[in-house]
Amino acid sequence: MAGSNMRDIKRRIRSVNSMEHITNAMKLVSAAKLRKAKNTFEKTREYFHYVTESIEEIFNNTSEVPTRYLQGNREIKTTCYIIITSSRGLCGGFNSNVIKEAAREIEKDWEKPVIVAIGGRGKEYFEKRGFEIFEEYMLPPESISFVETRDISKPIIELYDAGKIDEVVLIYTSFVSSMEQKVRSVTLLPFEIHRDPDFPMLEKQVDYEPSVEEVFNYLVPKYVEIMVYGAIVESATCEHAARRMAMENATDNAREVMSELTLFYNRTRQAAITNEISEIVGGAEALK
Amino acid sequence: MPKSMLLEVITPSKLFYKGEVELVIVRTLTGDEGYMAGHTWAVKLLAAGELWFQEAGSKDFKIAALAGGFVDVKDNIVIFTDAAEWPEDIDLSRAQQEKEKAEDWLRHPSDDDSEIARAKIAIQKSMTRMHVKAGGHRRKR
Repeated sequence: MAGSNMRDIKRRIRSVNSMEHITNAMKLVSAAKLRKAKNTFEKTREYFHYVTESIEEIFNNTSEVPTRYLQGNREIKTTCYIIITSSRGLCGGFNSNVIKEAAREIEKDWEKPVIVAIGGRGKEYFEKRGFEIFEEYMLPPESISFVETRDISKPIIELYDAGKIDEVVLIYTSFVSSMEQKVRSVTLLPFEIHRDPDFPMLEKQVDYEPSVEEVFNYLVPKYVEIMVYGAIVESATCEHAARRMAMENATDNAREVMSELTLFYNRTRQAAITNEISEIVGGAEALK
Repeated sequence: MPKSMLLEVITPSKLFYKGEVELVIVRTLTGDEGYMAGHTWAVKLLAAGELWFQEAGSKDFKIAALAGGFVDVKDNIVIFTDAAEWPEDIDLSRAQQEKEKAEDWLRHPSDDDSEIARAKIAIQKSMTRMHVKAGGHRRKR
């Protein structure tokens, strides 16, 4: 009786032990990937603001800005959601947080949304619930290049130009620290900008070539492209951070379970030995 | 010696180049243009083409391939481009392959105008790469 029980405990200890090995290894892998992703992320962050600044500068210094991309140029009916999740699991609440936020946003709309899913988890979720996925992108995000992300954002801009969508919202996880990530939703188009009287006027005349409109109409889609690229890079960083945390918790948990089981195993073993001794002593007493 | 100014070449993923230069030549949508310190302020769109610049105090030009973007000429020059490459990073055979692929698209004409435009841009990009690899289209000194 006691013997088979002990064998069961031993088997459980072994299985928890091997699980701990796996989660620990995954934690180390994620930590290494996180470091790399963070590096890229910080580099892109540095030059991110440049295009937005140029747009603001042109907007505040010229009068004939085209309104096609600006807020208030038309009524917002159909919204396009770009939802960035990961393609792999085992990263805690990372994906479900993004999906929850996206579902909440979509619920608010009357019209049917256009969904662009980057990462498999988001795609699976919305596909299962009967939403139409306009575009999907599956490759691991940490190795994505800017040119590849342009293939994602281009059709979106074309749809916007064609008047099929009136708003573009980007939902992704933003990186606060290695311990904390926050889901953010950003409206990319129409571009929200207001004439700011405090904006420093340029002291010299600026030539725009071929024309102000064309430069402006080039910059705004570029802004969308860069935002999408930046969000993918940032989301990849968050994914690794989230996975590292999840795996660390799993490893800690496995160690705790293991120490409990070991204690229990030792107690059972001791109890069996005590039992045996008392039987022997009892037998010896009976022979006297 | 001419005055120098700061040139920054920025791509979405990194700062490609930063340094003091005397002369910058880029290909805008309307043709090649050169800028020196004290140029009129301007914002111009760039076609895929070569970037030439002369570092302060140097006689030689440095060349890079740019994949379109825009140049912001103020007291300093900032070039924002989708992709930039030094000649030593360019893979000649790959550029050749890409050009052939794009030419192949053109040979099988489709009704889609955007596809033709895309093929043309692809050809231009790979031509730029090949020229830059070969030391520049214009072979200045």
